[in-house]
Amino acid sequence: MTEFRHEPVRTRRRAAAAAGLAVLTLWAAGAGGQDVTVTKPGAAKSAIDIDGMRVPASAAGQTFLATLAADLKRSGWFAIAPRGTGPLAVEGTLRPRGDGLLADCGAVHRGTGRSYFRRQFTGLDPRRLAHAVADEIVQEVKGVAGIASTRVAMVGAHGTRKDLYVCDIDGANLTRITSQGAVCLSPNWWPDASALLYTSFHGGFPDVYRIDLRTRRRSKIAGFPGLNAGADVSPDGRSIALALSRDGNPELYVMDVRSQRLTRLTRWTRSSEASPAWSPDGERIVFVSDRTGRPQLYVLDRRGREPERISFGGRECVAPDWGPDGRIVYSRRMGGGRYQLCILEPDSRHTVQLTSGGADYEDPSWAPDGRHIVCVRTVNYRSDLYLLDTMGDAPVRLTTWDGDWYSPAWSPE
Amino acid sequence: MRKHSAVLRLSTLVLFCALAGFGCRRTPRGPGDDPFLDDDILSPHELGGGPGTYPLGGRTADGIPVTGVQFDNVQFAYDSFQIANSEIAEIEAVGRYLAENPDVRLVLEGHCDERGSREYNMSLGEYRALAVRAHLIGVCKIDGARIQTRSYGEEQPLDPGHNESAWRLNRRVEFALFR
Repeated sequence: MTEFRHEPVRTRRRAAAAAGLAVLTLWAAGAGGQDVTVTKPGAAKSAIDIDGMRVPASAAGQTFLATLAADLKRSGWFAIAPRGTGPLAVEGTLRPRGDGLLADCGAVHRGTGRSYFRRQFTGLDPRRLAHAVADEIVQEVKGVAGIASTRVAMVGAHGTRKDLYVCDIDGANLTRITSQGAVCLSPNWWPDASALLYTSFHGGFPDVYRIDLRTRRRSKIAGFPGLNAGADVSPDGRSIALALSRDGNPELYVMDVRSQRLTRLTRWTRSSEASPAWSPDGERIVFVSDRTGRPQLYVLDRRGREPERISFGGRECVAPDWGPDGRIVYSRRMGGGRYQLCILEPDSRHTVQLTSGGADYEDPSWAPDGRHIVCVRTVNYRSDLYLLDTMGDAPVRLTTWDGDWYSPAWSPE
Repeated sequence: MRKHSAVLRLSTLVLFCALAGFGCRRTPRGPGDDPFLDDDILSPHELGGGPGTYPLGGRTADGIPVTGVQFDNVQFAYDSFQIANSEIAEIEAVGRYLAENPDVRLVLEGHCDERGSREYNMSLGEYRALAVRAHLIGVCKIDGARIQTRSYGEEQPLDPGHNESAWRLNRRVEFALFR
């Protein structure tokens, strides 16, 4: 649980307007009106001053500072305090070290003098270094995983070309991963973020491949007759859940990574199954089945008991992803035909609608902080990826490039 | 005793008529009809089976496309893989062609319109292709080894439009014939 301390609201003019909202957000954040500056609608934030971070007057130094500030803001937990103010402060130095840089820094609470951490970070790239520092601050001050060093895998469509891409969470370093001229879809990350699993028509049929992100070496994981799709790796990296139609019907299977042995999980021959996603403890799988006539969500466990239906609203409930804190996000087709994102607690079945408005929201994927979600937002049949915040911050557009962008997967680290 | 056996015989007769009445042109049952129906009760050959009845054999590379013959696509209703009666004639025409040309292989290419989840649409497209395959095997008696499936989900629309008529055209199974 995060510790907040008392600080008066800075601007009295805005106090009245912000008061109602502040009460709401503070209540939502479980705090009691402590180290928080409410700067805009959305989640409560802690004010942090990064001016105590001394950097060289070089491009690298400026890049480091700008990236650090942006990362802290993007985390959703912090607002950058004006110089010299704020209860929290980042202090330290950034210096050249050999071919690269060395950051020796930490975060402190000015009021109590508490030091959250003090560490050295080394690297060649000032952006990457800033990401590492920002993640450490989030982890040590807020006790949750940071997302600054994470990446998003996605499909980028330009004309008939549909390739896999990866970019940093701030949109930098967009890199095309595949280039075979074959249609690719549904990338998912290996648990150590070293590779992607995806479906491709490279061999003329929809098959599942694994591509190593460092070597770009590709291997075929599943090329059975019929459909091979929707592959998702278990959190321990030992099993792959996927949809295969080799037995005459699209069903769910688990493949052992080492032995490639297949275990069939579903036997509903009068319906099709799709979109498996593992629970964070690797014991259960949420998936889509149309056995009641329309696609809905079901959960099964590895022991093979009869799957249980968990979604009961909407004409369609599809594209589930199971987050690190146990909540499931999915896309639901509403009465008017629009797709909106909903968050479901699988045990209580309690469901909350996350998005609303005149766009389609689909294909969600959780961040490792269990707070943010990347999804596809489609308006007038043009698709882009957006980062959403389950604690109320405004959506942020991730893809600012030509083409249509979809099938996002947030890296696990 | 007599009364009971008469009732028994009558029930058997009714049951027999009911089963016989299904005939060879029955459309496969889809989800929502009766999700708890025991697969063992209804003979797959009498009904043309459901998609899950006929496992796919090996996979063969496509080969040389057959030219000079063209079959209409099988169309589907939204979110459905049920084969409408209006589509049966085309499937059976393909069945006859395959029977008359034993060196020809078929790949059924299943497609969906652009709405909905891409992953679910891969499975739905596959299921549509498998439903057509089940009719060709179960009713037209074509060897399943000659028929493969390939789902494109929503990835290859015929009509790139964003309206009902485009979507209707895109919900289809195409017949790709090879030697």
